[in-house]
Amino acid sequence: MATVAVPQLSGYRRPAVLEWITTVDHKRLGILYLYFTLFFFAVGGILALLVRTQLAVADNSFVGNDAYNQIFTMHASAMLFLFIIPVWAGFGNYLVPLQIGAADMAFPRINALSFWMLPPAGILMFAGFIVDGGAADGGWTAYSPLAQQTGVGMDMWIIAVIVLGMSSTIGAANFLVTMFRMRAPGMTMFRMPIFCWTMLVTALLQLLATPVLAAALVMLFIDRNYGGQFFDPNGGGNVVLWQNVFWFYSHPAVYIMILPGMGIVSEILPVFSRKPLFGYKAFVFATIGIGGLGFSVWAHHMFTTGSVLLPFFGFMTFMIGVPTGVKIFNWLGTLWGGSISFPTPMLFALGFVSMFLIGGINGTYSAAVPVDFALHDTYFVVAHIHYVLFGGSVFAVFGGLYYWFPKIWGRKLDDRLGKLQFVLMFVGFNVAFFPMHMLGLDGMPRRIAVYAESTGWEALNMLSTGGAFLIAVSMIPFLIAVVMAFMRPKDQPNDPWEGNTLEWATTSPPPDYNFDSLPPVRSERPLFDARHNGEGH
Amino acid sequence: MGRVPLPRRFRLFTALIASALLALLVTGTASAIQPGGITDEARKMNDLFWIVTIAGLVVFVLVAAALVYALFRYRRTNDELPPQFHGGGAIEMAMVGVPVLIVIGLFTISMITLVEIDDPAEDDALTIEVTGFQFSWQFAYDLSDLGTNTDPNAEGTIAVIGTPANDPVLYMPVDEPVEFKLISNDVIHSFYVRDFLYKLDLIPGRENKFTVTARELGDFQAQCAELCGTDHALMRFVVRVVERDEFDAWVADEAARQLGEGARVSTSGTQGD
Repeated sequence: MATVAVPQLSGYRRPAVLEWITTVDHKRLGILYLYFTLFFFAVGGILALLVRTQLAVADNSFVGNDAYNQIFTMHASAMLFLFIIPVWAGFGNYLVPLQIGAADMAFPRINALSFWMLPPAGILMFAGFIVDGGAADGGWTAYSPLAQQTGVGMDMWIIAVIVLGMSSTIGAANFLVTMFRMRAPGMTMFRMPIFCWTMLVTALLQLLATPVLAAALVMLFIDRNYGGQFFDPNGGGNVVLWQNVFWFYSHPAVYIMILPGMGIVSEILPVFSRKPLFGYKAFVFATIGIGGLGFSVWAHHMFTTGSVLLPFFGFMTFMIGVPTGVKIFNWLGTLWGGSISFPTPMLFALGFVSMFLIGGINGTYSAAVPVDFALHDTYFVVAHIHYVLFGGSVFAVFGGLYYWFPKIWGRKLDDRLGKLQFVLMFVGFNVAFFPMHMLGLDGMPRRIAVYAESTGWEALNMLSTGGAFLIAVSMIPFLIAVVMAFMRPKDQPNDPWEGNTLEWATTSPPPDYNFDSLPPVRSERPLFDARHNGEGH
Repeated sequence: MGRVPLPRRFRLFTALIASALLALLVTGTASAIQPGGITDEARKMNDLFWIVTIAGLVVFVLVAAALVYALFRYRRTNDELPPQFHGGGAIEMAMVGVPVLIVIGLFTISMITLVEIDDPAEDDALTIEVTGFQFSWQFAYDLSDLGTNTDPNAEGTIAVIGTPANDPVLYMPVDEPVEFKLISNDVIHSFYVRDFLYKLDLIPGRENKFTVTARELGDFQAQCAELCGTDHALMRFVVRVVERDEFDAWVADEAARQLGEGARVSTSGTQGD
């Protein structure tokens, strides 16, 4: 293949650990991101099991009320800030340069900085468990004035989230410059792989929204430590101000957490349907639309504060259902008329589509303002967010892992174990989270450590806990598959799935410099074109 | 259709997924916890809930059916490349148009309901001042503001104060509008009565109000819905809806007990600990 002589490393190599710590290679940083985030997925998962164990029976005393508040706060903080948001940076780091045919990210050293801000932040946040007063316990939403009352763990949480925000802000700038400036010859914006598009919109959201969160957190830190009174009515401050600023970031953040997952699904479905993505441009505009509308719906988290312009935010919240609905049509249209096979990545992608469909539908309840009055802050909302972020994002994470594992590690994860994992996870997920709709309708508020037996919530809670443990069990076949894969030699060809995008044009794993040569880019599927001599368009 | 028999494992698998989806639907609809509700306002919200639910179920069933059909109908049976269809103008217009119509419809219905339930009470309606504190409630009744046909010149205030271990009882009469004033002096709480299908936050530095007309007698469990600290989960209370006569008798008893013995209860600033 290679016709150009590439300078080879001479005999000297530094120790592997030093290589990894000092690396500025986007692929290695991507892998570090994946290891880091999957570690915190496990940590957050263990915290979730503690939550579910506590709630399994009525009047339980498995953990105390204070400990419970810390556990669910740190569950959400780990899952959102240390898993879902940075896991996309992991996939993006590895894949965006490869998918656009570049040798690396635009700013490799800044890229390394983005990653290396994460471990100290994660440690700082979790070190809260060993300080006086415990970890942050005001919920991941840290509503003031409650967030003013708790111990130093809360300050550590605030600083950690600010650092994580800085990481994702500079990471976002890096992604944007990379995609705007470093695309391969022939790759116009509308020939860019759809995963890159979703990363692009995600990066825009991060760049615009994350500094707002940082501002809010700085105000909260000053309020807590120096008597700032930004959120204290006795000093002329405003309690609801925190919620406005917090959700101005945190609603767009929900799209930061799901859009790249949609991108992954939109890479997988066409490959295993052997068809192009149906309505590529509609998908791109819908993604941009979600990004734009995402900034105008934040107050739907605040309908019950009594200080929100209800019709405006109700309307905008309904409207954001439109681009979301468009994407469901994109995926259905892609499957329609295809030649569909069902390896593990495809199953996870289909799991995403079906669970995200439910997560979209049960979200409309909150847009209907009077219904939200009933369901807000109940388990119905817990069900909704998990159908979006677990049924959606986490299924996409595993779909992406099974799909790109051969590219990243040169080995394939066992397909039977993958299918077993999928079935266990799919069933466990629905058993864990579907009953929460009923619990919410029946009036169970979220974030309560105990409930009385007379409420009648015990049976559904027990069911839900069983589902949560089934999800935990579903990780066993995954771990076995990973271990088995690493016991085998690197035997994967360039393109094991008949992929469409440029990362499949290089070896598995790719060399340091990514590509010996690039195929011509004449559409959004350069590898498909190469396989079929440009026919089929 | 039916070009080659489905592989056994594939059949098993799809059967599993299909039954999981079906189980979802069945539990979702058959168990169908009725939101119900005991107030005029709640009943309107209940109607809206069912409209949203039916719309959601229609969308779910149509999309899920199309998805399952596509997965069966277009499963890979040979190595031929299917037609490479990228999408087209008319279909893409429909992709946008259909969701727009659905959401505008739902939005309109929601706003109609919102206007209907959001009518402020008459000036002479019974007013209950609710103060949330870490971690219980105080319900205060100003004797001059007990509703129509009561003495507007009566003096004094009676109050019920709970503790985390002892849920306070909120007395209210049936079949008349009752206004709730919500205040908090520590952190944010949320006044959530499941059977009102309603909650509203108690926010320091702000007074929130809402009005409901209860139509059913009985005791209804309720609790704080906004995380407010350690014993948030124990911040429960009971709403007791009684006939007007019984309510008046309760007020008279409490007034005699609380005011007659000189133990006038303050209506604000009371802390639980």
